[in-house]
Amino acid sequence: MTDTKTNNSKVVLNEFNQAVKGVSLWQDAWRRLKKNRMAMFGLWTIIFYSLISLSAPLLPIHSYKQQVLEHQFLKPSLRPAGELMFERQDYLIRALAAKEGRSELNAAETDRLAELKASIDTETKVLLTGEEVLVHYRVYPLGTDSLGRDLLARIIYGGQVSILIGLLGAVTAVLIGVVLGSLSGYIGGTFDSLMMRFVDIMYSLPYMLLVIIFMAVFGRAIQNLFFALAIVSWLTVARVVRGQIISLKNSEYVEAAKSSGAGTGRIVFRHLIPNTAGVIIVYTTLLIPSFIMLEAFLSFLGLGVQAPFASWGVLIQDGVYAMTTYPWLLLFPAGAMTLFLFSMNFLGDGLRDAMDPQSKNKL
Amino acid sequence: MSKYILRRALGLIPTMFIIVTICFFFIRLAPGGPFSREKKIPPQIMKNIEAKYHLDEPLAVQYIRYLGDVVRGDLGPSYKYKDYDVNFYIGRSLPVSLILGSLSLLIAVLFGMIAGMLSSLRQNTWIDYLSMSVAVVGISVPLFVIGPVLMYIFAMKLNILPVAGWIDEKGFKALIIPVVTLSLPYFATIARLSRASFLESLRSDYVRTAKAKGLKTSVIMFKHVLKGASLPVVSYLGPAFSGIITGSIVIEQIFRIPGLGRHFVQSAFNRDYTMIMGTVIVYSLILVIMNFIVDVVYGYLDPRISYK
Repeated sequence: MTDTKTNNSKVVLNEFNQAVKGVSLWQDAWRRLKKNRMAMFGLWTIIFYSLISLSAPLLPIHSYKQQVLEHQFLKPSLRPAGELMFERQDYLIRALAAKEGRSELNAAETDRLAELKASIDTETKVLLTGEEVLVHYRVYPLGTDSLGRDLLARIIYGGQVSILIGLLGAVTAVLIGVVLGSLSGYIGGTFDSLMMRFVDIMYSLPYMLLVIIFMAVFGRAIQNLFFALAIVSWLTVARVVRGQIISLKNSEYVEAAKSSGAGTGRIVFRHLIPNTAGVIIVYTTLLIPSFIMLEAFLSFLGLGVQAPFASWGVLIQDGVYAMTTYPWLLLFPAGAMTLFLFSMNFLGDGLRDAMDPQSKNKL
Repeated sequence: MSKYILRRALGLIPTMFIIVTICFFFIRLAPGGPFSREKKIPPQIMKNIEAKYHLDEPLAVQYIRYLGDVVRGDLGPSYKYKDYDVNFYIGRSLPVSLILGSLSLLIAVLFGMIAGMLSSLRQNTWIDYLSMSVAVVGISVPLFVIGPVLMYIFAMKLNILPVAGWIDEKGFKALIIPVVTLSLPYFATIARLSRASFLESLRSDYVRTAKAKGLKTSVIMFKHVLKGASLPVVSYLGPAFSGIITGSIVIEQIFRIPGLGRHFVQSAFNRDYTMIMGTVIVYSLILVIMNFIVDVVYGYLDPRISYK
C-alpha cells in the first residue's frame, strides 16, 4: 500500500520537507476507507441505489401499480410484450396440436393466432396516468408479475420503501439510543441503574414476537411497522453509547468544560456526543440493513407493507410462491435486496475499521 | 457459585411475569376481538360466548384468572379451534420446533467454531477466504432468500431432496434444507466471531509460551486457546437463540413445517388471544432458560466474572 503512495506523489515521503498538517478524524477515516476496496464498492452501490430510488418518478419506467392482465408472467426480455405474448400463445397451441398428433394447425387455431397478431398492433389501453398507449408495445426488461405489473418498476419502488424504512428506523433508533445512552452514562447513579435494568428486561423479551403481534393486531400500516421496529431497536445503541460516554466522561476536556461552568446538557450534547460520533455512525450503517431485513421478514409473513405498495420483502414473498414456474420473480428482487444488504454490510465494516482510533494513522 | 445460579434461576420468575403481563394487556389494547366477525353476531349469543370464555369480567379479574391458570400449567382453551385446548396444540408442535431449532444451532456452533479455528490457523489462505466468504453471504442474505433458492436448486431442479414437509412423512431428508438455511446466518456470525477471538488468543503471551515449550499445535488449540476464544461465541449464544426462534417462524412458513411458529403467526392473525399468549409464553420460557444457561456456562469459562 505504501509503495503506490510514494510512486504516485511527487513529493518524497520520509524527508523533513513537508509542512506538518493536522489530520482530523474524518480525513483520517476517509483516507483509510478509500483504501478498502470492498467498502468503496459498497459506498458506490449505495449511492447508485439512492440515486435510482430518489429519481424513480423521473425514470422512463412503467408505473408500479399499472396492471395489464394479459401480460401476466411475461419473462424478462427487451422485446415488446406483444411479441412474447404471441410466442407463448403460439407455443401453447402448437404443443396442444402436437399432443393431439397433428403437425398442422387447424383453421380455428390459425384464426386465433392471426387475431392475436392483429390485436397486438392495434389494441390500446388507457393507463392509470391517463394516457392512451399501444399496450402491447410495452417493454418489460425484468418481466412481469401475476397481475401483469412491471417487475423492474416494482423493484425500484419497492427499494424506495425498503430503504426509507431502513433509514428512518435506523435514525430513530439512533436518536433515542444516543440521547438515553449518553444521559445514562453521564449522569450515572440511580438513573443509570434504572435505565440499564430496563434495557436488560427489554433484552430478555422476545421482542420480535411482540412486533409480530403488534403488526397483526394493530393493522399493517407503514407507520405502525416503523413504530414497532423503532421502539425495540434502540437498546443496543443505548448500551454502546453509554459505554463510550463512561470511558470519556473523566477526560480533561470534560473537566475543563465543567470548570468553566458548562451544564450537563452542554457537556453531553456539545462535548461528549460529537466524540462518540464515529461509533454512532458505524452503528447506524449496520442498523440500516438489519431494519431492511426486519421489514422484509415481516412482509414475508404477510405483516408488512400493503398493496399497491411494495417492498423487497413483499416482492420476495410473491416470488417464493411463483418460483417453480417463474423463477425470475424471486431472483430479481432477491438479487436487488441482497446486493444492497451486502453493500451496506461492507460499508459498515469498512467504516468500523476506518474509524477505529486504535488504528489511527496506520496505513 | 451455586448461590449465584440459584439467585439467577429465581430471577427468571419476575422476567416471565413481566412478559406475561405485557403480553396480556398489549393484546387486549387492540381494537376488535377474537369473535368480531364481518357478520354481526346477535348480542345475546355474543354475550353467551363472552361469558363462556370469561371475557365479560373486568380486565383485572381476567388477568388474575389467567395468571392462576398459567401457574398451574393450563394455557386455556383456544378461541378459534374448538376441539382441543392450547396445551394440546403447543404440545404437538413444540417438539418439531425444538428439533429444528436445536439442530440448527448445534450445526451453526460446531461448524462455525471449526471454520473460525481453521481460518485463524491458516490466515489469508484459501480456507480463510472460503469460510469468510460463506460467512459474508450468510450475514447479508436473508433466510427467506436462501431457503427458497436452496429449495429451487435441490428440490425442484436436482430433485434430490423433498420440497417441503416434515420427518413424519418425508423422512430425515426433509430436515436438510430447513436446518442448513436456519443455521447459515448463525454459522456466519459464529465463524467471524471465533476467527477474530482465535486470532487474538493466538497472539497472546501464554500461547507464545506454550509454543516455546514445544507443544503441538493441536494441544495448544484445544487446551489453551479454545477455552478463552470461545467466550465471545458463548455470549453470542443468547442473541442467537432469539434469532433462531424468529428465524424458525419464517422457515416453518417456507417449508410448511408443522411447528410452533405456524401456530404463532396464524393465531396472531386470528386474534386467538390464548393461543398467542401460549406460544409467546413457551417461546419466552425457552429464551430465558437458554439465556440463563448461557450465563452460567460463561461464568464457568471465565473465572474473572464475579458472582456478586
